[in-house]
Amino acid sequence: MTPAHERYDELAAGYAVGALDGADLREFQAHLESGCQTCRRALDGYGAALAATARELSEPPPPHVKTRLLARVARDPGALARRSRVVPVLRWAASVALAAGIAAGVSTAYLRATYEERIAAMAAEAAGLRAQVAEQTRTLVGLREQLAEQERTLTMVRAESAAQARMLALLQDPSIHVVSLDGLPAAPQARGRLLWKPDGGGVLITTGLPPTPPDKTYELWAIVGGKPLPAGVFTVDAEGRATAQVPVLEGATPVDLFAVTLEPAGGVPAPTGPMVLASKQA
Amino acid sequence: MAGGDREALARFYDAYAPLAFGLIRRLVGDPDEAADVLQDVFWELWRAAGEYDPSRGSPAAWVTVRARSRGIDRMRAARRRDEMLVPGTTEPLAAMADPRAEDPATAVSDRWAVRGALAALPDSQREVIELAYLGGLTQSEISLRLRQPLGTVKTRIRLGMERLRELMGAAR
Repeated sequence: MTPAHERYDELAAGYAVGALDGADLREFQAHLESGCQTCRRALDGYGAALAATARELSEPPPPHVKTRLLARVARDPGALARRSRVVPVLRWAASVALAAGIAAGVSTAYLRATYEERIAAMAAEAAGLRAQVAEQTRTLVGLREQLAEQERTLTMVRAESAAQARMLALLQDPSIHVVSLDGLPAAPQARGRLLWKPDGGGVLITTGLPPTPPDKTYELWAIVGGKPLPAGVFTVDAEGRATAQVPVLEGATPVDLFAVTLEPAGGVPAPTGPMVLASKQA
Repeated sequence: MAGGDREALARFYDAYAPLAFGLIRRLVGDPDEAADVLQDVFWELWRAAGEYDPSRGSPAAWVTVRARSRGIDRMRAARRRDEMLVPGTTEPLAAMADPRAEDPATAVSDRWAVRGALAALPDSQREVIELAYLGGLTQSEISLRLRQPLGTVKTRIRLGMERLRELMGAAR
């Protein structure tokens, strides 16, 4: 025990036996309220010792007390409401005493009291273990949630990383085409850059497009021989930016130019909406 | 009260009433008054059993604490009664609790007829524990009664309680 706590060790002994008064009593009560577990344990130990001491002073009470008590309880108006909580406690307490009494014939009251303490301690320990298991279960659920969250983040990071890897591969490919797209009167601020290969698809990066309306999508078109072929749909973020994957355009070479239109959500096989971006060539 | 309740309470009473009565008798003295207090204690235990928390101590400790508390209440009420019958007294309260106050050397355990571990304590420790636990005196009252410095009383109480705990623990 630390020297700073020594004083409370003395106060705990006095408190247990009901001897504290004045400033000592107030000081120790305040200390207990601060939640000192050392003193709690000390008081439990002293309480058990005093209970065992009292057990050694046992005397049979006059028989009429029990009769009167039972009659009084029979008239208790709150008995019905209390029964479900009270009766199990009384039964358990009586069985603890009975179990402790097994030793009564062969040993002293010390031993009997001690059995009782041990049985009660085991019950308390079991209650503590139950609380620990519940706590650990809560921790486990928390950890699982964290793990799921991290897995979700990881999946997103992987997807981003894969997209960046694809873009990097495209940039390093000498056969890559870099196509610029410029804003049309419907979106004069918009700019686009398309990195693509005729046999490998590519990536479209745009800036300055108006935010995608809820029931709309932007759609990229490859104009081949004057005919528009769908080349993927995308939406833009709040800043008007987008990075969209462009699929391999089967049998779509040579492309004359690329264009982007605003279309109903999900995309359409042939353009219907206003054109917002277009390239001069492919 | 249903039969199950009655039987549960009767068994609980049989198991713990002698423990409570022995303690109350030593606090209150008069057997009729002690019987009265005993009934009140079990009435309260019956009403409070739903709030009993096994992690805070054994049923015996629970019964003991309540029995002592009610016994002390009755003892103090009796003391106040005595004071009113003896107007103008200047005697400290502590001195009135025990007619043998003028002779602190007398072994107090005669009065309380203690047995077991309590009787096994060294006299100086047993005396302060008995005055506090069975006599209901505070440390200041004990100091006055025994004409010993307060610090000495506190130290003896602590040593006595530690020894009692050891004696009870030794049976494990």
